[in-house]
Amino acid sequence: MATGRRLFWLIPLLLLPVPIFLDQYRQYVANLILVYVPVGVGFNVVVGNLGQLAFSNVAFFGIGAYTSGILMLKLGLPWWLTVLPAGVMGGVAGAAASVPALRGVRLFYLAIMTLAFGELMRWVYIRWEPVTGGSFGMAVPEPSVLGWALNVESRKFYAFLVLVVVVIVLTDRLLRSRFGRAFVAIRGNEEAAAAMGIPTDRYILLGFAWGGFVVGIAGSMYAALVGHLSPASFDLTELILQFAIIMVGGLGSLVGSVLGAALLTAAPEFFRDLPGFEELLFALLIIVVILFLPRGLASLLARAHPVFDDRYFRE
Amino acid sequence: MLSFLPQLVVSGIASGMLYALMALSMTVGYRATTVVNFGHGDMLMLGAYASYVLVVGFGLPVGPAVVLAAALLFLVGVAAQRFLMQPIIGGPHLSLAMMALAVGYALRGLARIEWGNDVLKLPRAYPSGAFMFGSVVVTTDDLVISAAVLALLVALYVVFNMTAVGRVIQAVFQTQRGAALVGINVRAFHATMWGVAAALGAVGGVLMALIVPLTPDIGVATLVRGFAAMTLGGFGSLQGAVIGGLLLGIMEKLLGFYVSTVFIDITAYLVTILVLLIRPKGLFGQHATLRI
Repeated sequence: MATGRRLFWLIPLLLLPVPIFLDQYRQYVANLILVYVPVGVGFNVVVGNLGQLAFSNVAFFGIGAYTSGILMLKLGLPWWLTVLPAGVMGGVAGAAASVPALRGVRLFYLAIMTLAFGELMRWVYIRWEPVTGGSFGMAVPEPSVLGWALNVESRKFYAFLVLVVVVIVLTDRLLRSRFGRAFVAIRGNEEAAAAMGIPTDRYILLGFAWGGFVVGIAGSMYAALVGHLSPASFDLTELILQFAIIMVGGLGSLVGSVLGAALLTAAPEFFRDLPGFEELLFALLIIVVILFLPRGLASLLARAHPVFDDRYFRE
Repeated sequence: MLSFLPQLVVSGIASGMLYALMALSMTVGYRATTVVNFGHGDMLMLGAYASYVLVVGFGLPVGPAVVLAAALLFLVGVAAQRFLMQPIIGGPHLSLAMMALAVGYALRGLARIEWGNDVLKLPRAYPSGAFMFGSVVVTTDDLVISAAVLALLVALYVVFNMTAVGRVIQAVFQTQRGAALVGINVRAFHATMWGVAAALGAVGGVLMALIVPLTPDIGVATLVRGFAAMTLGGFGSLQGAVIGGLLLGIMEKLLGFYVSTVFIDITAYLVTILVLLIRPKGLFGQHATLRI
């Protein structure tokens, strides 16, 4: 099993020559997919592994993106130095979003409150005009890594690939440790987990903070990729895309997050001039998955070969 | 500054009536099924569009159009519950919430495809105007909205408290298993109440479209306000939903006037977050946390 999993390292290696075959636009779409892998990974930790109904993922994403954008534009920092602060801000927001969960505000309350948090952040982007550029948004300077300008899409691809691999490896470690097992115990039955001596509050805080951190990093990548941040990018249509990624990919599965991001991220690009289709498509996908494939596409892969089974436990 | 207070309260009550109706319809659905319908705002949106199409497209008078739209939305609500929620009703709450959310998004997507981002105006069945009561201006829209919501509230109160059907509803609200034991068809009840909630939402949508431009996103903003009203009044409480809605409507106007207009947009979010942090059970709530 462990040797089988080592084969996963082949995936980034196989991706290395990809930019040779792609034109600028397709490369941009590929980069966008890389941005959404950590979006799915972080979201899935909170919703899939921890079992918390939190709608605040778009807020973490936006906070990460704006943190990078503001640090680059206002302080003149190079992009690579803003990645970690963006993650930290996302993590802080994640920890803050978990406070209601810690206070016993669960299930639908948490959902409502985190929904309010997400919309509140969008209001902040619009109203905090001197810093965020308001409704018109903010132009993000050209990203660079150690003086190496990421001025073509293929360079961004390699920078993102490194970040994505780091995020996935760390999240995999986390989920396979006692923390990850505690997350699943909390998802299954929080009182029972607490009765077994698991400090559930601490783990919920940690899960949210890690989710926010990872998604914050994704936000930073997004800022570097699109070069322009506007509040409209972090609205409720964005939320349904992010939900679709983890639901279609597979709740509580790292493989599922990657799969969902790879398959769905490009979809909005096809529907640019067709308002409404994106919402309809993602909604229908979620409905079909809930009814017929509750554990998402990852469960099909897991059935095909055990190496893809990353549930870390038996049900 | 203080002389504006009566005016602000009166205007606040009119919009508060709408939030109250929204919160009440959501509470009816929630109490019946113990599932919060995250797609409820889009039922409201669809109801408004349905009556728009009936009036503008089919030339129906506004009154019958609204009744027909409510009936249509009743069917939509029943179908959504019966074919999409019921099959997974025993599953994780996450799936239930996601299903409701997805249904809402699907409806919103359909509306956007059909009507794009056009801003439509629902024709009024009465001349728009305003009355002066002392220094307080009351628009006919305010009056129509308040009268319609009040009539619905009275009707609901009578049905819930004074009829045999109402006793059945109260029984299921209290305990589903107990209701099933005395021979109530809880499944059919679930579907019916989702239909009722959707129909109430549809009426709310029509009223909303009198004062707010009709767009596919009209329901989402109202959904958040409905949640805020429910939370403030006490989640699951019928009278709490009404009072919470009225208070929210007034607070929006007061904050918007005395503090800053930018607060109008976020009053609902602030109310939700503050109430849940400080007093999760709200004004009239029974339980501090939801146990389902």
